Amino acid sequence: MKFNLELIKNKKKIISFSTVLILLSLLGILYSTFNTSYKKPINLGMDFVGGNELRIERICKEECSDFSPDSVLENLRENSKNKNLLNNIKLQSQNNNKLISIRTPYLSIEESNNLISNLDNIIGPLNYESKDSRLIGPKLGKRLLTNCVTSLLVSLLAISLYITIRFDKKYALFALLALFHDLLIVFGIFSWLGIILSVEVNSLFAVSLLTIAGYSVNDTVVIFDRIRENLKSKKEGYNETIQLSVNESFRRTTFTSITTLIPLLSIILFGSYSLFWFSLALSLGIIVGSYSSILLAPSLLLKD
Amino acid sequence: MKRRQGWLFFIIFLFTLSIYLLINYPLQLGLDLQGGSQLTLQIIKEEGKVTRDELEAVNSVIDKRVNNLGVSESNLQTLGRDQLILELPGEQNPLVASRVLGKTALLEFRIQKERTSTDLKTLQLQRLSIKELIDRYSLAEKIQNDDNFLKVIQDDLKDIEQELNYSSTSNDLYGKLIEIKKYVDKEITNLFIKTDLSGKDLINAGRRQEQTNSNWEVLLTFSNSGGKKFAEITKSIAGTNQLLAIILDGESISEASVGNQFASTGITGGSATISGNFSAENARELEVQLKGGSLPLPIEIVETNTIGALLGSKNILKSLYAAISGLIFVGIFMIFNYRILGFVSVLSLVLYGFFNLALYSLIPVTLTLPGISGLILSIGMAVDANILIFERIREELYDGNTLTRSIDSGFQRANSSIVDGHITTLLSCFVLFLLGTNFVKGFAATLGIGVLISLFTSLNCSKTILRFFTTYQSFRQKNLYLPRKNFSQ
Repeated sequence: MKFNLELIKNKKKIISFSTVLILLSLLGILYSTFNTSYKKPINLGMDFVGGNELRIERICKEECSDFSPDSVLENLRENSKNKNLLNNIKLQSQNNNKLISIRTPYLSIEESNNLISNLDNIIGPLNYESKDSRLIGPKLGKRLLTNCVTSLLVSLLAISLYITIRFDKKYALFALLALFHDLLIVFGIFSWLGIILSVEVNSLFAVSLLTIAGYSVNDTVVIFDRIRENLKSKKEGYNETIQLSVNESFRRTTFTSITTLIPLLSIILFGSYSLFWFSLALSLGIIVGSYSSILLAPSLLLKD
Repeated sequence: MKRRQGWLFFIIFLFTLSIYLLINYPLQLGLDLQGGSQLTLQIIKEEGKVTRDELEAVNSVIDKRVNNLGVSESNLQTLGRDQLILELPGEQNPLVASRVLGKTALLEFRIQKERTSTDLKTLQLQRLSIKELIDRYSLAEKIQNDDNFLKVIQDDLKDIEQELNYSSTSNDLYGKLIEIKKYVDKEITNLFIKTDLSGKDLINAGRRQEQTNSNWEVLLTFSNSGGKKFAEITKSIAGTNQLLAIILDGESISEASVGNQFASTGITGGSATISGNFSAENARELEVQLKGGSLPLPIEIVETNTIGALLGSKNILKSLYAAISGLIFVGIFMIFNYRILGFVSVLSLVLYGFFNLALYSLIPVTLTLPGISGLILSIGMAVDANILIFERIREELYDGNTLTRSIDSGFQRANSSIVDGHITTLLSCFVLFLLGTNFVKGFAATLGIGVLISLFTSLNCSKTILRFFTTYQSFRQKNLYLPRKNFSQ
């Protein structure tokens, strides 16, 4: 089971592939900034803009009766005085009309309770034990956003510093290039997801970016370590040694990615819905990260 | 060899200890796993930063109020420099808590300015009408939306506005009503002069039902000096037509005259009652607020999370499925690829899981959903260290080295890569823990602890277990370590 990746032959292909991915991500970010209703590089979720999210199950004897979200909203509107609030309400049903999820702008606890009891009157009875409600004030949202952005910047800086101290300039530069490549692509994918499926990102997305950063650098460091070690006891040429080192570490890198992806996939399949997008972002990051560590970063090291 | 045996006993000891810890100190579950409400309270300060003392003071007032509410097992902690987190486990409605906590509860005693009786009477009448309008409005909200009914309220409101010579700026009717009420309250308060008696002079508050009707009244007990101040104040206005107002958060809740009989000594005895048409609920809320004292700075509830108990237990179940299936599939993958070595890594993974959980109950770490995902993710990272080592061992074996030598140099040579990789992840966790929100902290904590423990289990436990196996002759055949591969000896 020896692997033979022809890195030297395919250098151009790898670099163009990455360039295309990066351009696509940038395109998504630009499109999202200028051509969407939210005018942000990525569709910011409730954590960052504030609002009210409610998920609750109905109690049904057998199957839950069908209902049209529009008529429920119409009913809610009639029962409530705050017209402004109810103009921005979104209602969805899942699991054969059993699970109802509602998004509104920020409500006070009292208003939120009123909304639930009105809902109970219209399509109840509701199972209060299954309630999941989140109310986030707009002020806190802004704060969370700055918090997440600072965390990201600070830890990227810390990682960059560590890598610069640990490796020569050239290695450090390419390891960091690979890292920003991974982060940009995951960010771009979520920009597109926001545009197409209106997927929103919350604070866990920032966490996933941070985790991806740590992971991606780790992967690249292992391969660069191997390259350095082999260059010291160099038998073949520079480029050949790099290719050999990559092939030697190929099993390790893919295996590690697989063993990390397995638990993530089990969270996606069996875990709580609140962790779904988080695990997906992490999985994407790990896939892109392995690609960049195995193929991109070493290719950048190759001499023409 | 002797030293390794020492390690083996040490590991067995740690394993037994973790099981003991887990049985005796059960894990603390976060609200997303057991159900309940969580409120984030933001301290509002217009200028400058909230100081440590102010944070402490707000914390202690909120703590008293929560205790006086009789909420069982609540948990209050500070977050950062200007936030507090209140957790109410179980099926408790956060509404009551939010009503009691949100108010500043600044209690003032003021005396009426001279020659303002007519002004006050007009304003009192206007306050009565606006209160009545608000009542009518909530009644209209309960029954079906009747446009005529609302129209009447709107017209009446306009009349009051004209009388007051003030026009409201709010968009919706309810906002207008509240705005006008606040305006009237302010005008009334302005007719009174501050005294040096305030909520700080209270030592207790209570409530009781009035004898003549079903309304409630709130009893105030003053401290010694407070009682004296109260006597002096009442003495100064006894028998005049100046009134004494009790003002809570800028709203006068009672205006009363002091009879002529108190002109010589004032009202002594160190206590007073406020009877202002309280319902049982309102009286209790006021009592709780007064007992806790007033907040040095106003607070605002900026976040509320409520999770039903059923959903919480479902979340536990789902996380368990995810963790166990993740472990099983990783185990299968490892045994398939590395045979005996894979089995060793499964054993050290099990140890890893127990050590982690034991440490959670020891520190203690409250387990939340993001925390569990950090734990599950760190399984992958823990295995990574094993893979690095095993790959090195394989290479050494292919090069024709003996088993013992291969194992030794495999562990030795993988060391630096493992430490490097762990450090970058630890860096991220550290930043997340410092800057993250409560939610994020849970993830950073479990991932960070996991990374640290995996350094021990993958470097030490795996090695010890492997050494233990290789002491038996039957476990020393190379083909138990290298699948489907013929190699020359």
